[in-house]
This record gives sequence, structure tokens and C-alpha cells, in this order.
Amino acid sequence: MFKYIAKRILQFIPVFLGVTLILFIMQNVVPGDPIKLIAGERKLDEVTERNIRAQHGLIKTDADGNIIYDENGDTIETPMYERYFTYLTDLLQGDLGTSYQRGTSVSSIILQKYPYTVQIAIVGIIIEAIVGIGAGIISAIKRYSFWDVLVTLVTSLLVAMPAFWLGMLLQLVFGIWLGNVTGGAFSFPISGVAGPLAKYPDWMYYVLPAVTLASVSTAYTARIMRSQLLDVMNQDYIRTARAKGLSKGAIIRKHALKNALIPVVTYVGMDFGAMLAGAILTETVFSWPGIGRETYVAITQRDWPIVMGSVTVIVFVVMIINLIVDVSYAFLDPRIRLGSSKNEG
Amino acid sequence: MAKKSSSYVDLKTKPVPEGRHLLEVDDLKMYFHTQDGIVHAVDGVSYTLDRGETLGVVGESGSGKSVTAMTLMGLIDMPPGKIEGGHVYYRGESLLDMTEEQMQHVRGNDIAMIFQDPMTSLNPVYKIGRQVGEGLRLHRGYTKQQAQERAVELLRLVGIPNPEKRVNEYPHQFSGGMRQRVMIAMALACDPDILIADEPTTALDVTIQAQIIELMQEMQEKNGNAIIMITHDLGVVADMADKIMVMYAGRPVEFGTADEIFYESRHPYTWGLIRSIPEQATDEKKPLTPIHGNPPSLVNLPSGCPFAPRCPYAVDICHEKLPEHHTTETGHYSACHFADDPEFVKFAPDTSRSRGKIATGTPDTLDDTLKGGEA
Repeated sequence: MFKYIAKRILQFIPVFLGVTLILFIMQNVVPGDPIKLIAGERKLDEVTERNIRAQHGLIKTDADGNIIYDENGDTIETPMYERYFTYLTDLLQGDLGTSYQRGTSVSSIILQKYPYTVQIAIVGIIIEAIVGIGAGIISAIKRYSFWDVLVTLVTSLLVAMPAFWLGMLLQLVFGIWLGNVTGGAFSFPISGVAGPLAKYPDWMYYVLPAVTLASVSTAYTARIMRSQLLDVMNQDYIRTARAKGLSKGAIIRKHALKNALIPVVTYVGMDFGAMLAGAILTETVFSWPGIGRETYVAITQRDWPIVMGSVTVIVFVVMIINLIVDVSYAFLDPRIRLGSSKNEG
Repeated sequence: MAKKSSSYVDLKTKPVPEGRHLLEVDDLKMYFHTQDGIVHAVDGVSYTLDRGETLGVVGESGSGKSVTAMTLMGLIDMPPGKIEGGHVYYRGESLLDMTEEQMQHVRGNDIAMIFQDPMTSLNPVYKIGRQVGEGLRLHRGYTKQQAQERAVELLRLVGIPNPEKRVNEYPHQFSGGMRQRVMIAMALACDPDILIADEPTTALDVTIQAQIIELMQEMQEKNGNAIIMITHDLGVVADMADKIMVMYAGRPVEFGTADEIFYESRHPYTWGLIRSIPEQATDEKKPLTPIHGNPPSLVNLPSGCPFAPRCPYAVDICHEKLPEHHTTETGHYSACHFADDPEFVKFAPDTSRSRGKIATGTPDTLDDTLKGGEA
């Protein structure tokens, strides 16, 4: 087991290098000069611009930080591989770089923003697990009933609906219409986060963004749960349990659910990783100050250090969540023994 | 796992009423209502069974053997299944009239069942001990500890080595034969009156098959339970069954003691089955004689005898009229128009010569193992 985990952690390295390298190359391909964008529509004077470039290591400097010029008196652009190497060595020292736009360290920005993403992901995953698994079980047990048809219809609708559109719809219905209908007495906040000056109780701020974030995956969870449970109910060992004299309820609770939940837990676990990676659309629609929205803003401003920093953190989080899901598999399904010769890799 | 309501009286303690049998199946009919039409899965099956007896139910796939057993256990989903007639009495109580809750007391406790594929019949995520002890906790109200201890004893009883350790293992750590032993231990946990074995050896190695059958017989001698042995292999029941029912297309076509079926068979289908038993390797190599064709669709049964299209002796009347049961004084019956015709019965395969060779067991002990053949 420990050997397996160590091996998986070693595998993080090539995945991580691959993802960051691709991103690094892309930021050099995307049009727009990030330094020129700092001043917005105005123009930076040449000396300031040169100093900012030197400060971010975009042009070559000597050990004391003085800009090096070539024989024509031009600055020398730092080659991409050198900058990538600097990014990696800084990263090993825990330094994610400095934002072009704000001049503050990327680590401090991420530390400030990431908790919001974690909060919404936790609320989202709770909704997904409870509603998705619950709806799937009801749907399977009461197959072809009104509830099954309802679950099937709603999940089809949610799967097909873009999350940002659902988010706007929820804002309209629960934020605006509900407020109008109740004469302003009751409605949900449509943007922002809880805080000391907030108009609403803290929990209400989580409802609409979390529902939006969880919508599509809840629908998938319900569908997987339904099909898995129906599949398991046709297995021979369920017939054995019936032949033993167990009641239908006991069979579902004791024999069917544990087997049916194995793939569902995997899906929900992987989805938690995806939620922790930040939801750019949902966070943008609800002005939720998480890492997804931050990344989105940073991309529009070509603020590459923030983009690189966010992606670095996200890649690590997703890889760790995936590892936890894989390890938890071994506890759920006794047939899987991690690290044995059959399951290596 | 709470103990079942205390008001319940264990049926096993109830004596079999005078003049009745432990299990009486009378003209049982189970049809499936499907989109393609009504499937006559079980069409008029009758037999009786007493403690200590073994009934062999033989027939091809789709002949209704398993459905008959599943109907007794109340394991057929209704719909699509529907009982169209007949009665099943266990110790004089009608099983078909019982509620689902009453049937749950019967299942596993009074009538237990083991299945064809031991590889898939055990729940992969639970330890063996828990699965073996589950019935005891349910029907006998054992504690977890008691059930576990009894599970160890049961595993030892069915010949699983090192049961104290094995009881804490998972099904995937057992071989096919060992799993079937576990299934038998599980079925016998509550000391049932009747053990239904639905092709228990089909999925197993030939060498293991004999072991499993021996084990079932050994347990029967100890516990005195009745066995209903369902198989497509006449050879399997040859040295085991007291009575044999041969089924074809949902109907019993011949019923009698094992001796009667093997040596005095009066139905061409049974003859076909006997001819297709491989003999043990002898000097002379004879090809097997298959029954040509396929069983009929149970939705559109041919008029007349269902076996007529495949019967080498069929004449006009066979295609027109469903044969009655021709019964002898001993209760041996055959559903063939010519069962009473001594000239026709001469076509039967000469089993007297191959006595002892047709069985899967050791050749010369067949007569001893056919115990109670006249029951």
C-alpha cells in the first residue's frame, strides 16, 4: 500500500511538468503583451516598462538587477526555457511569483481566494452526494414509477443545461422573482459572499452558487446510482440473499447498496477534485471570489503568474484527490488490493 | 438484524399431517406474461417429497426446472410471472397462499437453495463468515459472535480446511469448488427441511463435481433433509436421486424412481437423455447419440406432444393430441401415447448391459448407492 502511494506520488512529477510546460508555451502564443496591459488604455513610459519587465525576469539582468543591453543598446529577452526553469526553481522554494497587475505575491492572492472555492466545493459535493445518490436510489427502487420518471426527466434536463445558464435562471427566479412575489421579504442573494456587512444570513450566499455548481454532476450521480443499483439487483448474490429469507429492504440496504456505491463514490470523488479546481463559469456568474473567477480575470489581463500559480495549485489538488479516491477503492472493494502485482500501474 | 417477530411459529416444528407429504406440488402452473405472449414456463408439474428423499429434476435448458424451484421459494417476480393454477403444500401449509413476510420465514429456514454459479452467488464485498451466519442471525436471532462461531463450525462441516482463518476471508479468495461448499454451508445453516440445488455442479470442474455431490449426500445423511436436485445431466442424479422427474417444455414427461427411469423408461425423450450420457472410457469407442433439434418456444407450443417435432418415433397422433400421463401401479408415469405399448417400449436403450456405466460414480457400486429406490 505505501509502496503504491509512493509510486503514485512519483507519477505526479511527469504529469505536473507536462501540464505546466504546455501552459507556459501557450502563454507565449496568446496575443497581448501583459506588461503593456498593466497601464490599461494609457501608454507606459519606456523606462518604467523596462523596469517592470526586468523585475518580472522577462528581460535579462545581471546579478545586481541591472538590465543588460546588447551591442545595439536593446534589452535581451529572457528565453522561455530559462523562465520556465526559474518558475520551477522558485516553486521548489515555495515562491509562485508576483502578479504583473497587482505587484503582490501570487501565493498571497491564492491563499486569499482559494478558501472561497473550497467552501463552495464542499457545499456542492454535499448536495451532489445527498441529492444525487438519494434520487438514484429512489429511482431504482421505484422503477417506472412517477418518481423514477421525474428523476429521469430532471436529470436529462440538467445534464443538457449549461451551468452558467442555470445559474442565471436561478438568480432570476430565486433572487428577483421570489423577492418580488414576497414583497422583498424573502429572496436569495444573487452575487457576492457572506461578510459582516452582508444583507443576508451567511448560509444563503452558498445556496445558489452551490446548486449551480453541483447541478450537472448531481444529475450524473443520480443516473449512475440508478443504473448501478438496478444492475446489482440482478446479480446472483442478490438472489442468494433473497433465498436466505432477507426482506427486500434488508437486501437493498445490506447487499445491494455497498456494491452499487463503489462506482458512484469514484465519480463523486473525482467530481470533488473537479470542483476544487474552481468553477470559472459558476464563480463568474455569481461574482464568487474563488480561484476560478480569479483565473478568469487573470487570463483576460494576461496576468500569467496568477494563471500559472492557480494551475499549479489546482493540478496538485486534483492529483491528490484522485489518489485518495483510488486508495479508498481498496477499502470499499475487497477484491482490489493496491500494489499487488496485478494492479500495479 | 433483528429477530423476526416472536409470534411466528417455526413451520419446521409442525408435524407433517397424517397421510400427507413434507412437500406436495400439485399441477403447478407458472406462466410469464411477456410482450411476445404468454410463456408456459411451468405447465402442470406434480410431485411429492419426504424427508431424507432426493428428487432429481432433469431436462434441457428452458424446460422449466429452475422456474419450478424458484416458484416454490417465491422467488419469481410477479409480474411478469403469474401462478395460473396448482398448489404447493409444505407440511400441509399452502406456500402459494403465504404473504411475502411469511415466505421470508420459510426461505433459508425451511427451504434453502443453492445455485449454479458459485463464482457470482456470493456477495463480493462481505466476508464469508458474515454471509454464512446471516441466515442464523435472521431466523434464529443469533448474535454476531454466535453466528461467527457457528459459521466456523459449518465451514469445517463442509470440508473447508482452516475454517477459523477462512471465515474472515472474502469470496474472491476461494476457488469455485470451495465457494460451492460455502454455499452449501450457508444453505444448511438453519437446518432446512428441503435443500434445492439448482445445477450445483454445472459450473465446476469434473473432479470437483463428484466431491460436491458426495458432500450433499453426506450432509443429507446427517441432517435428514430432502434434496431437490435440478440438473440437465441425467448422469449426475443417477446415483443420487430416489425419484426422478424428467421435464420437457415446462411439462413433466416422465416421473418414477431412479430405477424405473433408467431401466424401465417409457418415454422417447428420456431415452434420448440416457443415450447422450457419456459412458466411462471402455475399450470400444462409441459415438454419443444426441437428441437432434432444439426445444420448442414456450410461447407457441406445437399442438400435440411438445416433443413430437424431435421424436424419431412420432406418428400423426403425436402432432395432434397432447398425450395423457400413463401411470403404472408404482406411480411411474410417462407422457407418451405409446407408453403402454410393450412393442414400442422395446425401442428403449439397452441400459441393462451398461448398468453401472451410466453413472458418474464408481461403476460397481451403483446398486448400493441407489438407496430406497422404491420410495
